[in-house]
Amino acid sequence: MISAGIDAGAATTKGVLFRDNTIMGYRIADTGFNFLTASETIFSILLESYSIRREEIGHVYATGYGRSSISFADKSVSEITAHAKGVSFLFPGVQGIIDVGGQDSKVIVVENGRVVDFLMNDKCAAGTGKFLEYTAKALEVPISDLGELARVSDHRAAITSMCTVFAESEVISLRARGFLKEDIAAGLIRSIAQRVAVMAKRMGLKENIAFVGGVAKNAGMRAALEKELGVPLYVPFEPQITGALGAAIAAQG
Amino acid sequence: MSPTLQSLPFFQDSYELRIAQLQEERKRGIKVIGTFCLYVPDEIIFASGADRIVLCGGRADTIPVAEQSLPRNICPLIKSSFGAVIDACCGGSLACPHIPLIDVVVAEATCDGKKKMYELLTDYLPTYVLDLPQKPGSPEAREYFLSEIRKFARFMEQLTGNIITDEALRREIRSSNATKRLLHRLFALRKSDPSPIRGSEVLRVMQKQFFLSPDMFRKGISLLCDELEHVVSSGNTGPRIMISGCPMAAGNTKVPDIIEQKGGVIVVEESCTGTRSFLDLVDEDVDPWKALAERYLEIPCACMTPNDQRIARIVELAKEYNVRGVVYYTLQFCHAYNIERLRVQKALKKEGIPLLAIESDYGESDTEQIGIRVEAFLEMIA
Ligand code: SF4
Ligand code: SF4
Repeated sequence: MISAGIDAGAATTKGVLFRDNTIMGYRIADTGFNFLTASETIFSILLESYSIRREEIGHVYATGYGRSSISFADKSVSEITAHAKGVSFLFPGVQGIIDVGGQDSKVIVVENGRVVDFLMNDKCAAGTGKFLEYTAKALEVPISDLGELARVSDHRAAITSMCTVFAESEVISLRARGFLKEDIAAGLIRSIAQRVAVMAKRMGLKENIAFVGGVAKNAGMRAALEKELGVPLYVPFEPQITGALGAAIAAQG
Repeated sequence: MSPTLQSLPFFQDSYELRIAQLQEERKRGIKVIGTFCLYVPDEIIFASGADRIVLCGGRADTIPVAEQSLPRNICPLIKSSFGAVIDACCGGSLACPHIPLIDVVVAEATCDGKKKMYELLTDYLPTYVLDLPQKPGSPEAREYFLSEIRKFARFMEQLTGNIITDEALRREIRSSNATKRLLHRLFALRKSDPSPIRGSEVLRVMQKQFFLSPDMFRKGISLLCDELEHVVSSGNTGPRIMISGCPMAAGNTKVPDIIEQKGGVIVVEESCTGTRSFLDLVDEDVDPWKALAERYLEIPCACMTPNDQRIARIVELAKEYNVRGVVYYTLQFCHAYNIERLRVQKALKKEGIPLLAIESDYGESDTEQIGIRVEAFLEMIA
């Protein structure tokens, strides 16, 4: 049986098709204004790309911030449960998950594929992709280059503000004081890595940790986080789809 | 959904009668005391012939008024309460109906925020502050608190012109113990699975505890218990949850409402709008003053140090009420309860009981985010 999982995130919508214990395919697109429209679009693109008729899909499960708007889904599960399922499928035996998305970050403790504890930061942009987005803008580099830029730095600038708004002005003042772009970038990456690592340590994560979410695509970010935690991190081939994958797995019943 | 309980409207109806009653009492010269905390012994107020009503603010709309005078980064309960007072005293339109009824505020030296707010309050209402030892475990602390409540009693005697006899005090102790026993009965009913009543309903009842006269409140609780004993199937079959943490003053029901909308069932609250108000009775067989001092210092509030009894009690209650998880609720900027969370969490972890921490204010902006956490938590413990 084929099942589908839709992760209706605040910034991006992800869709995964799942069959015979394997991922058939996935798609990612910007959410835009309307959760339902974005999800419908992703779903029909998936069906089309893999030449599947709607009737061939057993169940569709939704997850993510906008999950309650996805009227065509049979059921919805929370992001926490979905990520735990998706990541445990990719990395059996994983004990912790760090998810840093565009709007929030979360740390999930997993035991045999089951969630046993979790911590979410969604009230404040510090420690999320938003922090990188704003500060990269202040640095006038594309967010995707920030990580690479940081790696060539050998004199990391100290970013002392956790708050995104203050960090943004801190970047501007560091630039005015003549700091190199790469050193500021390294400071920014370090700052968010520290913030996220504190959450992970607070939850008692030690090893077998997966790093997922949009920010996990950033190699510099991953390296910085590994350094803070002192262990290598598992990063899926596509770190953004673990929620949708988990929903699709849950939809297998 | 549980069936509609017939006895619940009693509390709202009595509340309206109560306001009229207090107005009438004031006309007859009876003094009305406003309080903000469980540590102020009602028994002494009533024994002096005065009446009392609680002023703790749970409404969001008085906060902007308060923020004209108070820093923004303090607990919303303090801001809401203070805002209600200045609004009422300055002829505002938000009208907390309690403030115009008050002759004197009896405040207490608990958390820093409240203590300093009371200093500002004296510009608007006569305020008496009861001191509290912060390390209540020792005999010296009890001695000191005993002298404090005696001093408070003298203040009440002067205010009312009545002498507080031991006999009157004993009578009031018996009366408040009777209320507490009824609440024991109500909470015991919640131990059955499924619970015959939802926590969000109990909270709305508990919020009336210090508004209504003790007689009225007891009448309501008796009616409610009688009714609950006959509830056959309540449908409250979701995961059993305990709430622990800061008080939820009237107007603030956000988090329990979310928990129960998402399918959880709250079966016990370790808070000042829950067990802290009634679990311990006052000893009726010893000197009433000593008994009061003893009982009141036993209140397990996070303002006190160390607060081991609270930690132990939370674990005990979680087991007794057979809960699947604990939601640790704190008001934003309440340092005492926020910091104490870690000890609670560790103690519960040892027992294998999961905890979800929620820190919130009186605004609506985080409703969605709290919902997401609660859903994930309910899935986790299901
Ligand atoms: S939490 Fe503490 S300070 Fe606040 S009302 Fe309760 S006993 Fe008083
Ligand atoms: S909730 Fe905390 S900060 Fe607020 S009044 Fe009570 S003890 Fe003080």
